[in-house]
Amino acid sequence: MEKFSFLSNKEFRKLVEGLTGSFTVYGTVRKDARLSAAGDGFPAYGRISCFEDLVLGLTPTHLSAKEFLFPQRETLLKFDIEKMTHAAVVEAVDQVIIGLHPCDIHAVGLMDRVFAYGKPDVNYLARRAKTVIIGTDCMPDRFCFCKSVDTMNVDAGFDIFLHRVKGVEPPQGAGPPQNGFLVRTATDRGKTILSKYAKAKKASLKQLDEIAAFEKKREDSFTAHIDAPAGQLPEIYSKSDESPVWERIGAICYGCGSCNNVCPTCYCFDVKDEMKSNLNEGERVRVWDGCTLEDFAKVTGGHNFRRTRSDRLRHRFNRKFNYLTGRFGALFCVGCGRCSRTCLVQINISEVTNELIREYNAKKRQ
Amino acid sequence: MNSYGNTMPKSGSSSSYLPVPLLIERVARLTEKERLFKLSANGRAFTFDPGQFFMAGLPGYGEAPFSIASGSGKAAEADGSFELCIKAVGNLTNAIHRLKKGDTLWVRGPFGRGFDVNGSSPLRGMKGRDILFIAGGIGIVPMRGLIKTILGDRESFGALTLVYGFKDPEGILFAGEMEDWKASGMAALLTVDKPAPGLSPLKGWKGHVGVVTTVIPGLEINPSKTVAVIIGPPVMYRFAIKSLWDKNIARDDIYLSLERRMKCGVGKCGHCQIGGIYACQEGPVFKLSELKDMPDAL
Repeated sequence: MEKFSFLSNKEFRKLVEGLTGSFTVYGTVRKDARLSAAGDGFPAYGRISCFEDLVLGLTPTHLSAKEFLFPQRETLLKFDIEKMTHAAVVEAVDQVIIGLHPCDIHAVGLMDRVFAYGKPDVNYLARRAKTVIIGTDCMPDRFCFCKSVDTMNVDAGFDIFLHRVKGVEPPQGAGPPQNGFLVRTATDRGKTILSKYAKAKKASLKQLDEIAAFEKKREDSFTAHIDAPAGQLPEIYSKSDESPVWERIGAICYGCGSCNNVCPTCYCFDVKDEMKSNLNEGERVRVWDGCTLEDFAKVTGGHNFRRTRSDRLRHRFNRKFNYLTGRFGALFCVGCGRCSRTCLVQINISEVTNELIREYNAKKRQ
Repeated sequence: MNSYGNTMPKSGSSSSYLPVPLLIERVARLTEKERLFKLSANGRAFTFDPGQFFMAGLPGYGEAPFSIASGSGKAAEADGSFELCIKAVGNLTNAIHRLKKGDTLWVRGPFGRGFDVNGSSPLRGMKGRDILFIAGGIGIVPMRGLIKTILGDRESFGALTLVYGFKDPEGILFAGEMEDWKASGMAALLTVDKPAPGLSPLKGWKGHVGVVTTVIPGLEINPSKTVAVIIGPPVMYRFAIKSLWDKNIARDDIYLSLERRMKCGVGKCGHCQIGGIYACQEGPVFKLSELKDMPDAL
């Protein structure tokens, strides 16, 4: 088990501090303490300027980390009307994102395929190339179902991955047990960073047993699941266009687009121009859009190809489980449960999928 | 700043969003709403198939997709210039209508899969066939590109018939050119939904009245020899397809160009997605047989 080494909390702190000194660092934090029921805030991503900002959570953040690779608003062009010039803008800085769970790392991999496909998107790819990804282990809440869509584990797609361990190597002399992490790296960049900023030690067998036990506990903790093999879902969805499910969830959907916003693999965008107050210079920007919003598929003249909320939900769910699988060779749902967690009317993606599976199986038996 | 062996995109990979300036050589007013803009290629070698589109825009107003109205192949302009027909309906298109000869329009493209009249794509199979063109309203614009391309190689095709309809006589596009097309060996049947629009009655309309699908039943069609092409407003497709099925034309012999909202033109923004396909990449031209089991295709 050479792939793991041990990083004490002290060394982890040195790693984070080293990174904040040299990179723009984003990571998991607790936000809006006063608004949360338990008073300790919501898990979210935020800017990390010192070690204390970072709170490695066990459950998913409300918003995904996609905004750091595919910002909610991004400049594509700068133009000057008088000078009749357009200049392409590609903005990217060296950055680190700390705290992605396996589902989120899989999601970044899917975004990589989307933006590299066909004509490569230099805006995304430039940012991605300058982004260091540090993942961490997690524990499912009642919405998580990554185990059902084969995204529970990762071997690639990150630079460094952290597994929490309790203290098993007592510090010299007296003192509390030292907590820390077993770390693995998947890239040379990860190895370089780790050795530059921190000293990792050999992992002990006891520590390896500890993370194995944690992973076993994690695997046994899922309450949400999908009742068909992941590979069967495109077929099941492709036979479900006429399901009454769409009508039913369409009737309660607000069409608010929250599910699109929080989804780590929703990448649709609008492109529009924004003028400066001198009405001469301006920018062409792209901003997140959502297929559940009313105007998304509306054309000039007013025809809407997905007029009802049922049409639009059917489209969104199919994009996760069917429409994109042929082109990119993978499901576009990573099982993070964010859309279910955020939905104002409790439309639950795993429950909806299970209903379609039941209908599909019932039809097959007939 | 740090740079741990990561690489910027290879040189040569460029922004998908940078438009090129094209000089407007001519503006022709076709109707109150539609103008035809002839764009100089400015030394660029644009090659396109009929049915493809450009993203055209103006800084401050944004961009939108516009079908190419010009022919290609033997019908292509020697200097590479081409035409876009633009209907004034919103901020961008009204701003474009204010442009004059010598002004600049910013374009990206051409994009998408058009009608591959001569080539070897899955859409081949038009040569040697009778072709029935069915166009509604502004659908005549991309159809014009296809018709000009086919008339440029007239002897390679069988009987050509155009059925085209407009809301009212004032909206008829390319009426003058139609006479040239007829002289080149294409039958053309024109119809209008209403002989007189509300405010300015145009008297003396003696032509056919009714939507385009009312013309199709009366046509003599040899289904085994015919390829039908439909381009029109979204509402037209289902009815036109049904009337072609009544004539026993196979799904494989029905071609459609589908209109969709588009923001990027490069298969990313998601707006033009129909099932597993992007209209801006795999389309906008499809065979009907390719659109099977796509609930929101038509």
